[in-house]
Amino acid sequence: MTVAPSLVPEPRFRINRHRWLAWIGSGLACLLSLVGLGLCWLHPSIRSPLKPGLDFTGGTQIQVVRACGSPSASSGSNSDRGANLPCPAISAPQIQQELARLELKAEGSDQLPNLGSTNVQVLDKGRSVVLRLPALSPDQGSAVLEDLNQRIGPLQKTGSSIDTIGPTLGSRLLQGSLISLLVSFVAIAAYISFRYSGVYAFLALVCLAHDVLITCGLFAWLGLLRGIEVDSLFAVSLITVAGYSVTDTVVVFDRIREQRKALAQLPVVDQVDVAVDATLTRSLYTSLTTLLPLLALLFFGGSSLFWFSVALAVGIGVGSWSSIGIAPTLLPLLARR
Amino acid sequence: MARQQGWFALILALAIAAAALLATYGLQLGLDLRGGSQLTLQVLPAGAIKSIDQEQLESVKDVLERRINGLGVAESTLQTVGSDQLVLQLPGEQDPSRAAKVLGSTALLEFRAQKPGSEKEMQGLLPLKRQLEAVLAARRPGPKPAATNSQSPPQPPKLQELSDAERGQAFTALGLKIPPTSSELEQLEALQVEVNRRVLNLYGPPLLTGKDLTSAGRVQDPTGNAWEVTLGFNREGGEKFAALTQSIAGSGRVLGIVLDGRSISEATVGPQFKAAGIAGGAASITGNFSSEEARDLEVQLRGGSLPLPVKIVEVRSIGPSLGAENIRSSLLAGLAGLLLVALFMILVYRLPGLVAVIALSLYSLFNLAIYALIPVTLTLPGIAGFILSVGMAVDANVLIFERVKEELRSGNTLIRSIDTGFSLAFSSILDGHVTGLISCLALFFLGTGLVKGFAVTLAIGLVLSLFTALTCTRTLLRLLMGYPGLRRPTYFLPAHELPVGNA
Repeated sequence: MTVAPSLVPEPRFRINRHRWLAWIGSGLACLLSLVGLGLCWLHPSIRSPLKPGLDFTGGTQIQVVRACGSPSASSGSNSDRGANLPCPAISAPQIQQELARLELKAEGSDQLPNLGSTNVQVLDKGRSVVLRLPALSPDQGSAVLEDLNQRIGPLQKTGSSIDTIGPTLGSRLLQGSLISLLVSFVAIAAYISFRYSGVYAFLALVCLAHDVLITCGLFAWLGLLRGIEVDSLFAVSLITVAGYSVTDTVVVFDRIREQRKALAQLPVVDQVDVAVDATLTRSLYTSLTTLLPLLALLFFGGSSLFWFSVALAVGIGVGSWSSIGIAPTLLPLLARR
Repeated sequence: MARQQGWFALILALAIAAAALLATYGLQLGLDLRGGSQLTLQVLPAGAIKSIDQEQLESVKDVLERRINGLGVAESTLQTVGSDQLVLQLPGEQDPSRAAKVLGSTALLEFRAQKPGSEKEMQGLLPLKRQLEAVLAARRPGPKPAATNSQSPPQPPKLQELSDAERGQAFTALGLKIPPTSSELEQLEALQVEVNRRVLNLYGPPLLTGKDLTSAGRVQDPTGNAWEVTLGFNREGGEKFAALTQSIAGSGRVLGIVLDGRSISEATVGPQFKAAGIAGGAASITGNFSSEEARDLEVQLRGGSLPLPVKIVEVRSIGPSLGAENIRSSLLAGLAGLLLVALFMILVYRLPGLVAVIALSLYSLFNLAIYALIPVTLTLPGIAGFILSVGMAVDANVLIFERVKEELRSGNTLIRSIDTGFSLAFSSILDGHVTGLISCLALFFLGTGLVKGFAVTLAIGLVLSLFTALTCTRTLLRLLMGYPGLRRPTYFLPAHELPVGNA
């Protein structure tokens, strides 16, 4: 019995035996994502790979909660007196038509916003309404709110919000998000090249692109089918997914590098299998412990964090898959002993 | 052993300091958590100034700060962002549109005497101007100032109306065409703009500006219907005002008070001031103001005029109940998630799992203390960043304990396994954290607003996580290993996984 192999337990799980399955699965998911992004781009009302939200397009979003419907909403204040009554029925097209007739005061040299293009969403069985309008000044926003109060009111005074983002600010945000994403990719690649080698950096980037692509693809489909829009929080989640993906991949790489000497006489495929097997428990446990708080946020968190949590949960799930199934199976193809 | 105790004392001291810090300073909650509104103002280049430098931004900020203080909005903060933006945060239920109006105007006040020889034209324009003002004021949405004062006599009705015929007359008199598809309101506003332009044409150059003001106040006018804004000048301004009033005293020409290119008040000066003008360095603007309008004008004048114009590019407001709902559910979710993680760690890793839970509790405490110290304003993305950094911190512990388990399985002694586990896991923990920090840096320096808050909390979390995983967990574990009763491999691993003869 030689010394070196005795240190190495036979891997219980050999990832490279299933590599075609892994590649086909990931390839299909990537293809589906690309199709989603492409369809989104071709869709006449979206015209971009993902459905951009207010943060990127600029404009005004007004969210109101009507003082009716939910019995728990009665807080005793005067504005909430009707809290126990069911909400009178309202329809989105009706509100839209009525708003189009509203006259706004022009401000300064700015063009008068066209309220006819308002996008109206009725949520929670008519209890809350979300309006998407062209960018309004604060005065104009209050005028619209006042008008809504008369038409579909009474509204809960404390539940409404008006967000306005100027068109230049929206494009600046998009630019900033894309640039920070690209810069962090390049910097991470440089770091891995420095700590490991170019091949590893390339593979880490392949994994990262894989994870980000699938997360984007999911949201492209969600945008197509459910009208979900991406906002600046989505950009945040993509960058987090990228960070996690790299961390996960690096842990496997670190193990491969560490045992290279001890396993020098084995083929690369076997070295990789041993490393993946050794880090498998850790990869699964870590994804699980990260997913637990995210799932909690998903199910119990505020509505404003719901899609953010979805993006993160999917991205981290896919990220830990790619660190097990993609990077280690591609490594033997690229790395010579 | 002594070294461990030293570390332990340090960790304990840090924990106490962190708790004290938290108790004294508390956490700053962002607007999305407690409700309020946020206005972003863009400073625009004007005239000879093509790009805005830091000094100009600061001078704009000074003026805005004085105005905000004058408005009396509680706990507001004004910060400069980037090279040419300012962000104002108004917590609570404060109306952002009013703040926007007060902050957004330049408030350049000018006193201009009417040019000689234009008396007739001015006499034709002023009644129309007054009438337009009254009609537009009556149509403005919101509470009418007159309605709140029950003692006020009803306004003369004819002033509040302007029939279609009268409007048409006014348009032809001014040489304008009625725009074909315009509403009544638009026509009235077009008239007002034209009348104002003509009135301004009749004025001479500004001989006195708001720069010479020393004070501004407001008083109710003698009839009790409206408010006027009182002004006090410095010595030089007083002299200029006297000279200005002297030049038109008794002539029937008016003294125009112009704010941001809008003539807000036109006053005649009686012949009794022919000799010396209106001396004493005080004046008042009677513009038929409501009490709120008078107050806003007073605040603007007292704060001085903006050196550069500003434009409001973003307004975000969130009702406080939305904020409260958000924070409650997100906090609850975060806590539930962390509790599950703690349970998982103890079930899977036994004694070291328990140690990790203690270390991670310390980690959360340090994190929050740093938020209070810097201070970091906690927003929803910030909370998300915190929860994610907890995930990374847990990962560091998982990496270490998996290594310790491996060493134990291959037959090493307990103490040796722990030491090797820590040192072998170090390089992958470091790489993971560094790549995370790289993303944070990119986000912080290139991202905006929300994204920044996320980057800050995640970065703090990553740096701290390196410290706690490598120091707290290790120190606590080694300290416990000082007790022979706890030095059992079965506290680390199920017995059947241990090599035979070692259990």
